[in-house]
Amino acid sequence: MLTLTKDRALALALLLIVAVMWMESGDIRPPTSWQPYGSALFPRILLVVIGLLSLLILVRSLLVKVPERPGAKQLITEWFQSRRTILALFLLFGLYAALLPVVGYIVATIGFLVTSLALLMGINTRRKWMINLTLSCTLAIVIFVVFRYGLNVWLP
Amino acid sequence: MTNFFLQALAEVGTPSVLGLIVIGVLFGIVGGSIPGFTVTMAILVVFPFTFAMDPVSGVSLMVGVFVGGYSGGIVSGVMLGIPGTPSSITTVYDGYPMAQKGEPGRALGIGVVSSFLGTLISVAVLVFFGPLIASFSMNFRPWEITALIVFALTLVAGLSSGALLKGLMAAALGLLITTVGYDRNSNLRFDFGLPAMGSGFEILPVMIGIFAFSQLLGNIEKLKDEKSDAKKIDTNVMIPYGQILKDMAGQKLNTLRSSLIGSLVGALPGTGGTVANFLSYDQAKKFSRHPEKFGTGIPSGIVASEASNSAVAGGAFVPTLALGIPGDLPMAIMMGVLILHGITPGPMMFEQNPVLVGAIYASLLIGAVVMVLCNLLLVRWFAKISLIPQQILVPVVLMLCAIGAYALNNNLFDIWVLFIFGIIGYLLWKAEVPLTPLILGVVLGDNLERQLFRALELNESWLTFLTRPLSALFLALAVASILFSLYQDRKIQRLKNAAQQENI
Repeated sequence: MLTLTKDRALALALLLIVAVMWMESGDIRPPTSWQPYGSALFPRILLVVIGLLSLLILVRSLLVKVPERPGAKQLITEWFQSRRTILALFLLFGLYAALLPVVGYIVATIGFLVTSLALLMGINTRRKWMINLTLSCTLAIVIFVVFRYGLNVWLP
Repeated sequence: MTNFFLQALAEVGTPSVLGLIVIGVLFGIVGGSIPGFTVTMAILVVFPFTFAMDPVSGVSLMVGVFVGGYSGGIVSGVMLGIPGTPSSITTVYDGYPMAQKGEPGRALGIGVVSSFLGTLISVAVLVFFGPLIASFSMNFRPWEITALIVFALTLVAGLSSGALLKGLMAAALGLLITTVGYDRNSNLRFDFGLPAMGSGFEILPVMIGIFAFSQLLGNIEKLKDEKSDAKKIDTNVMIPYGQILKDMAGQKLNTLRSSLIGSLVGALPGTGGTVANFLSYDQAKKFSRHPEKFGTGIPSGIVASEASNSAVAGGAFVPTLALGIPGDLPMAIMMGVLILHGITPGPMMFEQNPVLVGAIYASLLIGAVVMVLCNLLLVRWFAKISLIPQQILVPVVLMLCAIGAYALNNNLFDIWVLFIFGIIGYLLWKAEVPLTPLILGVVLGDNLERQLFRALELNESWLTFLTRPLSALFLALAVASILFSLYQDRKIQRLKNAAQQENI
């Protein structure tokens, strides 16, 4: 069985995206007499270019010999496990974006800052907690005041 | 000409207008140095304050923000490795590695001095050759602009050393991103049934998402690997004036070439600072006797990038004023300011409002002096940002990026765009795909499609692109750029192999 490498994963993912986008491009309004080229032509040219380049990347990656490694499933699991902090940070950001309109800027921002600072700095000492809470609350409020009153930008 | 310029200088030289330029420059630097804030955002924030001002004061304030903003990108580019503006992307290539090697003061100093010289040279070029460049740009029709954009994209892909295929693919992917939403004929594309996708993606959240997430999360990953290096990097923020003078003395030709490229590219409609810094960086690399050292933290890279993007600040005014075509987003806003003050930019402006044209040049000149003073005096203060540990900096910058994306349109969808492109950017970065061609594709996509189809509507034959001399020249240069990149990649590979064998 073929070993999954970065280039192979990239090429396969891109080929999948190209296939999905090509199918979706079928929904674009077809050319008319006054729009002879239609709106689908430009993205389709790009999809062909991306598809060809992805194929080239795939072919080139198949020509390079790589040492035998575990199956794709195990590799992906290992990849995710070694990047738990990064994944948690992405998750926190996603939660932040989702909660902003629900609980408002101040609560969501303090929540995001406290949790992500705790994740990255650690929570093993009282000092770290103090820095975390002081920074999160002060910054969230200062940014709010600057945007709301200084820049006249209404935050959610 | 001298008369109207002197008259303009007298108007700009009043204490109140000078004060406005200082405020504008300071605000621009702060805006440019906060990642995700951008010079465009800084200009947008200052824009409402000009409502009650006379045209000269309003335009002077905006020019101050413009000059400061372009130079402010140096601070975040060098210290954080995140370009404050798209026009300072290549500053990161050498500025960040130099800072990482323990010389942030040197990198910042070289950047500021190059910015200053770039602005001065661009003003000189514009004052004397402005009308000439404007008339040259007027010869550009859709075929030439299309070919020029293609040339710019292949150049960027060529910059991605050793990854030409991935570079070209990234550029095409960037162009594809701009096809989401309603197009020029009001036809909906790739909305996947989501109403929010109808208006497409804003450039800013896409750009911040792709760059900031991969950079910041990459920093977190590196932190785990190189714990011992974490403190060492940020301690030296002294500006070594002697060293910078010595560095700049060896960069005369590079400074002049980069400033001229910046002025010329700035004057071409639809391009702007992003193309200028890539083009100039690429040229500096190709003219260099040591192209393999680019990207490792050498002065030539910073000079090429900063002199050219600052020279754009002057050059970009030519098409905006003479043709009524803004070169980029900040220029589009600047055009809005002029229209608000009852001045219609266009070919007649040089004749009808020569004093205002002169005031813009005078503001650029004074703004450049103020910028270099502010930057050199306050750079250490701005540089303090880098002393904040990454563990604290990353969540704070991510939060500022989210708020910055939201503030652009007061739209929560933009935060989701930021998030999704953050994930995409991080994954592409992990797959060793160069991200800058992707960004350039996103920035130039709309214009490329518009110009391509305008050309085809005027003449349905695709061959016209090859029969028009200038368009054919740009396309030939695009092909040559790819071939040259292939040749240079092989040369670098050979040199590396030879060096390895010598070591053995």
